[in-house]
Amino acid sequence: MLKKIALFFGLALIVACSSSDDSSKGGATDNFDRSTLLTNLADNIIIPSYQDFAPKLTTLKGSIESFVATPNQSTLDATRKNWLTAYSAWQRLEMYNIGKAEALNQYYYYMNIYPVTVADIETGVSTGSYDLNAPSYHDAQGFPALDYLLYGVATDDAGIISKFSTDANAQGYKDYLMDVINQMDNLTQQVITDWTTIYRDQFVNSSQNTATSSLNKFVNDFIFYYEKGLRANKIGIPAGVFSTTPLPDKVEAYYNQEVSKALSLEALDAVQDVFNGKSFNGTATGPSFKTYLDYLNTNKEGQKLSSLINNQFDLARTEIEGLNSNFSTQITSDNSKMTDAYDALQRAVVYLKVDMVQAFNISVDYVDADGD
Amino acid sequence: MRKILLGIAITSALFTSCSSDDDVNNPINEVEAPLTYKFTRDGNSTVDFNGQTTRIQMAMELRSALKDNTKSAAELQAMFAHLEGESDFSDTNLNASGKNVRSKVAASKDYFAANTTVSNEIKGLMDSWIEQQATTVFANWDVTATAGTAGQLQQAGGGTMRYVDAKGLELDQAVAKTLIGGLMIDQMLNHYLSTSVLDEASNIENNNNGVVDQGKFYTTMEHKWDEGYGYLYGNEVDPSVPVLGADSFLNTYLKQVDSDPDFAGTAAEVYDALKLGRAAIVAKNYEVRDAQVAIIRENISIVPAVRAVHYLQGGKIGMAAEDHAKAFHALSEALGFINSLQFTRQPNTDTPYFTHAEVTAFMDALMDGNGFWDVAPEVLDSMSEAIASKFGFTVEEAAN
Repeated sequence: MLKKIALFFGLALIVACSSSDDSSKGGATDNFDRSTLLTNLADNIIIPSYQDFAPKLTTLKGSIESFVATPNQSTLDATRKNWLTAYSAWQRLEMYNIGKAEALNQYYYYMNIYPVTVADIETGVSTGSYDLNAPSYHDAQGFPALDYLLYGVATDDAGIISKFSTDANAQGYKDYLMDVINQMDNLTQQVITDWTTIYRDQFVNSSQNTATSSLNKFVNDFIFYYEKGLRANKIGIPAGVFSTTPLPDKVEAYYNQEVSKALSLEALDAVQDVFNGKSFNGTATGPSFKTYLDYLNTNKEGQKLSSLINNQFDLARTEIEGLNSNFSTQITSDNSKMTDAYDALQRAVVYLKVDMVQAFNISVDYVDADGD
Repeated sequence: MRKILLGIAITSALFTSCSSDDDVNNPINEVEAPLTYKFTRDGNSTVDFNGQTTRIQMAMELRSALKDNTKSAAELQAMFAHLEGESDFSDTNLNASGKNVRSKVAASKDYFAANTTVSNEIKGLMDSWIEQQATTVFANWDVTATAGTAGQLQQAGGGTMRYVDAKGLELDQAVAKTLIGGLMIDQMLNHYLSTSVLDEASNIENNNNGVVDQGKFYTTMEHKWDEGYGYLYGNEVDPSVPVLGADSFLNTYLKQVDSDPDFAGTAAEVYDALKLGRAAIVAKNYEVRDAQVAIIRENISIVPAVRAVHYLQGGKIGMAAEDHAKAFHALSEALGFINSLQFTRQPNTDTPYFTHAEVTAFMDALMDGNGFWDVAPEVLDSMSEAIASKFGFTVEEAAN
């Protein structure tokens, strides 16, 4: 019996050693200190991002209060400006669906689900009957609902202002607008308070390699965001990658008509900065996916995997920069530029979702839906 | 006993630590070649590819409709890009289906996940062929075709009537033969038989542990393999024992290639490899599985190549005999098969035998000027030679 085991043991060793491919093995056998990576993420990137975002959202709330009190061009302009500032800052956070953000049954569901269902908003405005906590209202609140209320509720600015002043449902519009911003502000405070009180230490100290350890979850959130929030929602879905025809009305900030590109670029920067461990407030970099991959000597096709990933992010950025500032316009005029940008983003997915997670010895906890 | 357990524990620890790639398998898992493509778990069949059967049948109806001059462009397009519940087909089951053909054209994970721009070009070309079939060919149904004018042409000796566009191309043939590569071959070779799909997420772990899909009797990996199988045999009366000739697409053209003595045995190699590979999944032996994938890729890829050369040569003979209808029919098939070559797969690589740019250049050469009306025999020969030599057969072997 023991001999048989020894034989099996030997075979296993042969298999194990003959199966080496060009990517280094990670996980249980590596000595990389994951807690340093988590610390850098929490202290230099995630928490500062929230600390940047929360006051901007509060400023937006203040300007909405002024607009609701005195609806005119000046208060509308101020609100719009602060909306864009906060919306840009949000792009840094959407991927952090962990801790309180996850426990709220997805904080981002209340912040950035688009396209909005205009009928839900309008019905809510006219009847006063709506529940922003209900899942059916995820697509009737957050930044996209503000986008509609501040830019799309009427064809021109005078019309928009009248919706909040002289319209029969003016009070309904005001209430809805206030409820949306209050919901966003309230949830954001909960998430940031959690990070700055108890969750930061939990996050940093959970440095093992199990399905529920911080890095395992964070890597999954990161890749999921890259695939879904950035690649699919911002570019792929409106470009028609997942449908028979392009859907130009599904771009982010559709009613604003000017900033879908700017928001996408901000999101891509956020992804790349997290990958490289770059401080939110500065240019310093710390322990990160990149340094972890380099520590593991992860190579592919004769190159460092981290370089391949960064190069691919850069290529995607170049493609996106070449697009019209309004993706709707780009899709209508030449959609192949949009799909080129999508393709450039997609090329990094395999690096992240296959090669990087393999190196980290982390399992991907979600699967793409397939047709058949 | 403790020692034994410890030994096993260490062994498996080594396994996990050193082999996190897809080579994880146990060399003692011998795979037995099954007689037919029948697989069960606890007495229940684990084989299912109804989605593939549906798409093949949709493609069959589309192919027939492309020769029905009462159809409008919109009706034809609706058959290609069917929406659930629309009455696009004669078969009510197809109408009820949420599947369609177009969404799976040039849609494999390996080739097109990051090439949606090219995928859209390929689909767009098919869209325009389908539309023009109605707007130019159907419109000139009773007109005799000449260079620059669409219409009908009859084969010599009171033969079959052919309906061509202004360049002599039978658009329905271009569509049908492109589907062999764009739908069947691409989905089979570059999607369902790819490690990127077979081994996605926790597929290996689940297959190793016999974890079946919710409400199903199969593991995800088994099912993916079966879906690949379904694109070839999905329209057979008994797909577990295929007889071939069961559709107008890959299934039938595999039979045609196999019936050429120079390529006899191709069909059996494919069937045997699909059976053995599936059995290997059941046995959790992924090395044997992947060896079968290489065999399948090689033998399926040769199908459009042999037929392309065969029809290019057929076209040359028809042109020499001044039988335009016969020549154009052959060249139309050739053009579709050439377009299909971009979906082939060189075994153990991530690349086709001919790229999108290369097949586009071939098609452009055939369609240059007045298209088939003035294509030179030298062009047909050099194209035949290029294709045959790339695949390692001779023009003569394919032509007869």
